Amino acid sequence: MKIDFAHRQSAHCESGVCSNLLHHYGLDISEAMAFGMGSGMFFGYLPFIRVNKLPLTTYRCEMGGIFKRVTKRLGCRVNWQKFRSPERAMAALDERLDQGIPVACRTGGYWLPYFPPAFRFHFNMHNLVVYGKEGDDYIISDPVFPGPERCSHRDLLKARFAKGAMAPKGTMYYLKQVPRQVDLAPAVRKGIREVCRRMLRTPGPVIGIRGIRFLAGQVRKWPKKLGEERALLYVGQLIRMQEELGTGGAGFRFMFAAFLQEAATLIETPQLVELSRAMTDVGDRWRKFAVIGGRLCKGRASGDDTYEAMGTLLNECADGEASVYRELLQIV
Amino acid sequence: MTIQQRLKEILVVELNLEDFTPETIDDDEALFGGRLGLDSIDALEIVYQVEQNFNIPMKEMNEARAAFQSINTLAAFIEARLQG
Repeated sequence: MKIDFAHRQSAHCESGVCSNLLHHYGLDISEAMAFGMGSGMFFGYLPFIRVNKLPLTTYRCEMGGIFKRVTKRLGCRVNWQKFRSPERAMAALDERLDQGIPVACRTGGYWLPYFPPAFRFHFNMHNLVVYGKEGDDYIISDPVFPGPERCSHRDLLKARFAKGAMAPKGTMYYLKQVPRQVDLAPAVRKGIREVCRRMLRTPGPVIGIRGIRFLAGQVRKWPKKLGEERALLYVGQLIRMQEELGTGGAGFRFMFAAFLQEAATLIETPQLVELSRAMTDVGDRWRKFAVIGGRLCKGRASGDDTYEAMGTLLNECADGEASVYRELLQIV
Repeated sequence: MTIQQRLKEILVVELNLEDFTPETIDDDEALFGGRLGLDSIDALEIVYQVEQNFNIPMKEMNEARAAFQSINTLAAFIEARLQG
């Protein structure tokens, strides 16, 4: 049994799943548009939350947040389910597939057999769409892969019930109802405003622009505070969070820039084109930051590739982003 | 020098591939998951080097991923961008 579902490759899993599921129900929204409309852009350095025993840094909003906000803003009805029992979780998935409903699942990507070993690490927030089953194999639209993939019942079960931080606990979600016609402009404006407020006005030192500056200060201290070996582990975790989530080191800043570019036409606000360029410049700095971190981790750093330089770049990122958000709040 | 040769030199020099020379890397061998031993952190360096050396912006990571199969696929991507 296989649902007629169009697999389209995307850069990031949740925005890709969101865009592909909506496309299945006749709403053609690009991945960047889903990301922006869902207020996916974020920054948080959360040293009190550990992933693989290292501080969590996030460059995007909470998991599931993009899908929740996009569907709410567009007036879609969604069903979310979590399970204690793996058997019940797999049975519920089969039931929906039998009804012809493509189902998104949250998984631990490490356990998906089609992931190349070089790109595997324990990360429990990987989203994909299951849209068929043939024998023991599920047919999967994993948005970060070029074509449909297959995964056995056993492997998918393991991935849906991966253990560790932010365990997916069998989470699955699907669209129950999608309006035939929607006005995208209000959703776009809401998406932009929420990102700006969150990045500029969240209280506390670890979130948004203040969080980027806080991390800049921390990164500079790491070699002394943690010792060289542990400092490298911290840097490795930081940049893996940027790169392995499909952002090319830019921590979703290129995707937000692409969204602003599209939004300029959609909400007839040409100033967004210039702000899109400014955000691309910020993305380039994030990428340079990640490249330096990579060189440190791999033992190929030159004289300019230092923790100090990483801190400086982070402060430049904070300056650039703050300026874009302030302007956006004025014009949107 | 062909794009392939230049890319192989970049790999060897910038990624510190001490066990390889440009001549010992095959144009069609897998960049990741094969004997070169590259991982996602190396991918980041390659993206950066392509931008710097060929002046080609790589912002769409789904495109970049497809190009990162081998030296030949990456060279084809660069060539298409240079001509486009």
